[in-house]
Amino acid sequence: MTALALIRNLTVTYRRDGSEVAALRSVSLDIEAGERLAIIGESGSGKSTLALAIAGLLPGSAKIGGRIDWFLSSLGAKAPPSVLPDISPSRGEIGSFAVGSSPATLVIGEGGNKGAISPLEGEMSGRTEGGLIECRSQKSASKQSHIPRLGRDIGFVFQDPSASLDPVMTIGKQIAEVARTHLGLTWSQSYARAKGLLERVRLPDPDSALRAFPHQLSGGQKQRVAIAAAIAAGPKLLIADEATSALDTIVQAEIVALIRRLVTEDGMTLLFISHDIALAAELAERIAVFRHGQLVELGMTAQIVGAPAQPYTRALLDAHIGLDTRPLLNRARLRA
Amino acid sequence: MTLLAVSNLTKRYRRGNKTIAAVDDVSFHIDPGETLALAGPSGSGKSTIARLALRLIEPDDGRIDFEGGDFLALSGAALRARRARLQMVFQDPLAAFNPRATVARVLDDPLRIHGIASRGERPRRIAALLERVGLTADLAPRAIHEISGGQRQRVAIARAIATKPSLIVLDEAVSALDVSVRGEILELLLDLQRQEKIAYLFISHDLGVIRSVAHRVILLDAGRIAENGDARTVIDAPQSAIGKALVAAAPRLNRTGP
Ligand SMILES: Nc1ncnc2c1ncn2[C@@H]1O[C@H](COP(=O)(O)OP(=O)(O)OP(=O)(O)O)[C@@H](O)[C@H]1O
Ligand SMILES: [Mg+2]
Repeated sequence: MTALALIRNLTVTYRRDGSEVAALRSVSLDIEAGERLAIIGESGSGKSTLALAIAGLLPGSAKIGGRIDWFLSSLGAKAPPSVLPDISPSRGEIGSFAVGSSPATLVIGEGGNKGAISPLEGEMSGRTEGGLIECRSQKSASKQSHIPRLGRDIGFVFQDPSASLDPVMTIGKQIAEVARTHLGLTWSQSYARAKGLLERVRLPDPDSALRAFPHQLSGGQKQRVAIAAAIAAGPKLLIADEATSALDTIVQAEIVALIRRLVTEDGMTLLFISHDIALAAELAERIAVFRHGQLVELGMTAQIVGAPAQPYTRALLDAHIGLDTRPLLNRARLRA
Repeated sequence: MTLLAVSNLTKRYRRGNKTIAAVDDVSFHIDPGETLALAGPSGSGKSTIARLALRLIEPDDGRIDFEGGDFLALSGAALRARRARLQMVFQDPLAAFNPRATVARVLDDPLRIHGIASRGERPRRIAALLERVGLTADLAPRAIHEISGGQRQRVAIARAIATKPSLIVLDEAVSALDVSVRGEILELLLDLQRQEKIAYLFISHDLGVIRSVAHRVILLDAGRIAENGDARTVIDAPQSAIGKALVAAAPRLNRTGP
């Protein structure tokens, strides 16, 4: 296995009301190139903070320690390299990768998207530069590596598709803009790519969908569009942060199947963040269990689910209520 | 005796120049102390049925009998009195309460509004309610936004049982909770049901949870009843197309090991 990223002693601290809250404590984790890795844990376990840290989306007020080493170029990119100069990820980058670039979308996480991006309300107002992780590029013998850029190298899908789409921009333009920004395509090439992406995410009638606005789509359709925008520039890493949690079970299963197909077809690495251990186990090859900001256990899915080493992992598994779990109703009756 | 009987309930909404039936000719009943679950895809009408049963909205057609009387015919003081017997807990208790209100205030309201306890008696009643739902009385002065999600849902349940209801409508009441907390809340609900004979209209998208706690289930599809029956019988072998699709989509955890 080749590593895509090595995370070492990553510590993230948020400041809130004068006190400091450690959201991640010295987390070390390797992301293998091409793998499907699930990050699971309960609320407050640090899963979203990890996703934001990897994507360079942490608020400027967050204090960050540790390092992430990336091995991007050695992997043979499928997407054409960007013709644009590399700029460091900033708040504006959020807008340019999946949400269009109108001012309204730049404040994502401050208002309408509580929890999905901003781990703490009111923490996102600072610029990101201060919160940048020390990123080191590894130069392999022949190919040059670089610091990952959101949109081009990393695609990010949030829980709430409405929050990641610009309500006043057509679907087609939002996707085309990602392709245009990161791949240096013309508008007409970008629109052609957008249409192809809408076909790939199986949106019915892609031609008219290009001209549609987000409010004309269902929640599941919006999430398909958000996924299309996230992969528009051919990123190596797709991060899905609770991307199916707001959807009903049937649509959730469809979106999970879609994500699986897309990462397989494009050879992407997937970071799938979820509170649902059963869902994670269906999709991921490896599972990392988080609790209170720490990595509790990491292993192959079959091992985590079938032979967990940590009591906390076992407790999570025992708390799962599946279609074959003995009903609480019967147990209550027995005890009564 | 039937506690709640809903007959031919219909609720239509206008969308643009079309009319859609959010709830379309739905009939069901709930017995005292029974849990009836509603499941179905998003938009199938679960929450609309909940709001109709609570009379938060009025139906276009149909009849609701609650505790032996025509519930839709009630108004004024009679409606208010009957409402004490029909309570609700929703997914997000923060949205349901003023987040700055204290726990004590949230529990004081129903006791005062329904004239259940005198001013002097209420602090004792509030402490007893908190203990009944597995909390301690020292939580009373805390603000709603200062307590955890699980504690908040317990407070919501305490508030619901304050008026000694015979039926509680639970709309995705455990869906946002961490799995460890969810189990405890489900145990609490079952315990209250056994002790106080409370019936539940239990709305959830999670068939595993429904199979675990409900007596009967109704599967909805586009406002209509697609299937109904014993919860475990229906979920273990669904007959309707939507039932099969819902069961097929539920994630499975295979714990047999590597
Ligand atoms: N106030 C309203 N105005 C217009 N349409 C409405 C209104 N409330 C509900 N609807 C429509 O009624 C239908 C049923 O909605 P309802 O909220 O009852 O579904 P649900 O089963 O609770 O869905 P979910 O699982 O997403 O909560 C949907 O088509 C919805 O868009
Ligand atoms: Mg609903």
